[in-house]
Amino acid sequence: MHLTQELELFPEYTVTQLLFKDVKNATELRKMAVNGEIKGALINPSMVVDAFQILVAANKAVHLHKNGKMKTRSLYSEIIFNLSPTNNISEAFKRFGISDSDSAVHIVLIHNKDETLNIEDIIGKVDGQQMAVDRVSDLTDVAKIKKLYKVAPQEEKCGSLLDAVVCRMATKDVA
Amino acid sequence: MDHSDSVKASVPSYLKEAQMIKQGAEARVYRGTFLGRSVIIKERFPKLYRHPEVDEKLTRRRTTQEVRSILRCRRAGINAPVVYFVDYTTHCIFLEDIIHSVSVKDHIASAQASEQNPQHLQTLADKIGETLAQMHDEDVIHGDLTTSNMLLVSGAEDQNMKLVLIDFGLSYISALPEDKGVDLYVLEKAFLSTHPKTETLFERLLKSYTASSKKSSVVLKKLDEVRLRGRKRSMVG
Repeated sequence: MHLTQELELFPEYTVTQLLFKDVKNATELRKMAVNGEIKGALINPSMVVDAFQILVAANKAVHLHKNGKMKTRSLYSEIIFNLSPTNNISEAFKRFGISDSDSAVHIVLIHNKDETLNIEDIIGKVDGQQMAVDRVSDLTDVAKIKKLYKVAPQEEKCGSLLDAVVCRMATKDVA
Repeated sequence: MDHSDSVKASVPSYLKEAQMIKQGAEARVYRGTFLGRSVIIKERFPKLYRHPEVDEKLTRRRTTQEVRSILRCRRAGINAPVVYFVDYTTHCIFLEDIIHSVSVKDHIASAQASEQNPQHLQTLADKIGETLAQMHDEDVIHGDLTTSNMLLVSGAEDQNMKLVLIDFGLSYISALPEDKGVDLYVLEKAFLSTHPKTETLFERLLKSYTASSKKSSVVLKKLDEVRLRGRKRSMVG
């Protein structure tokens, strides 16, 4: 159900993604993320096209974190910021983070390979139904993404929506 | 999460394990796996013959120009590899690996060798002209147009072959017809020297360019001017 992957550039870390729908306690979860009870990034799944998109954001976040060049205050807020096509931090949090009224949540955790992650603990905190991360496209709001990332129909000749999104994420510092 | 020295050297140690496929004067190109996908990594290594501050600034500028040009092309519907990650500390660009492709150079060479279908190459010339016209209309100057920097990706049917432009290492943004004319001149020189007896094919390419571009006439005029005076020619007699 959940997805655990390695970052080839940073083999000492592991990225775990969890996805939940029919979530009833988004407000609580948000609070837990802010006060550190949940050490992860809580993302709005309607803005996620594919788990790869999350990996790209996580990779960049870890890279910047290691070099002391993050734009935001924590690794997890950096992941959320990296998803955004713009350089406006508060806008990124608003659009890609979860809000109190959300009913679905995509959780991203980064941990050292040697650390044992207590996934059950996190699942227990969510009042919702866990679903397979690779089904995140069921929750994707394609129209909203195309609008926010400004993906024109002509670009879709070159590749998928995921390609368009990831390319912008990777190049937004200089675009 | 500790910060030991080995941690800072993540990209270089990754590259040691990757497979180097080309070394040029400007950069080294590797193939590797990144986030589970096959990627091409372009590393602009430090040039020791340059003054270090100049080198850093120049290398960073070339990296950002390359990445910007790729994004601009894709936004306009021109095929170019997707950028997955840019490491501005080591000046490495992680790009989509275009698999199942053949360079236009190899394609023309084999088509000519097998004495095949000239109509086939005509369609290719049309496609190249059209693509370059779109690129120039977006004010992207490739800077290194050669048939080795164009790939043909086989689609489901042999009919719809995708043309993908690669190696935007010398590219920049410019609206000047002079720059576009020079871009075409570079291609012309490379084309005619690499592929013998292709003058008519190249003319067809230019015709397609003219038909597809909104600003072609002034660009072609500049092309004629550049042909006359030549590039990198010292006007000392």
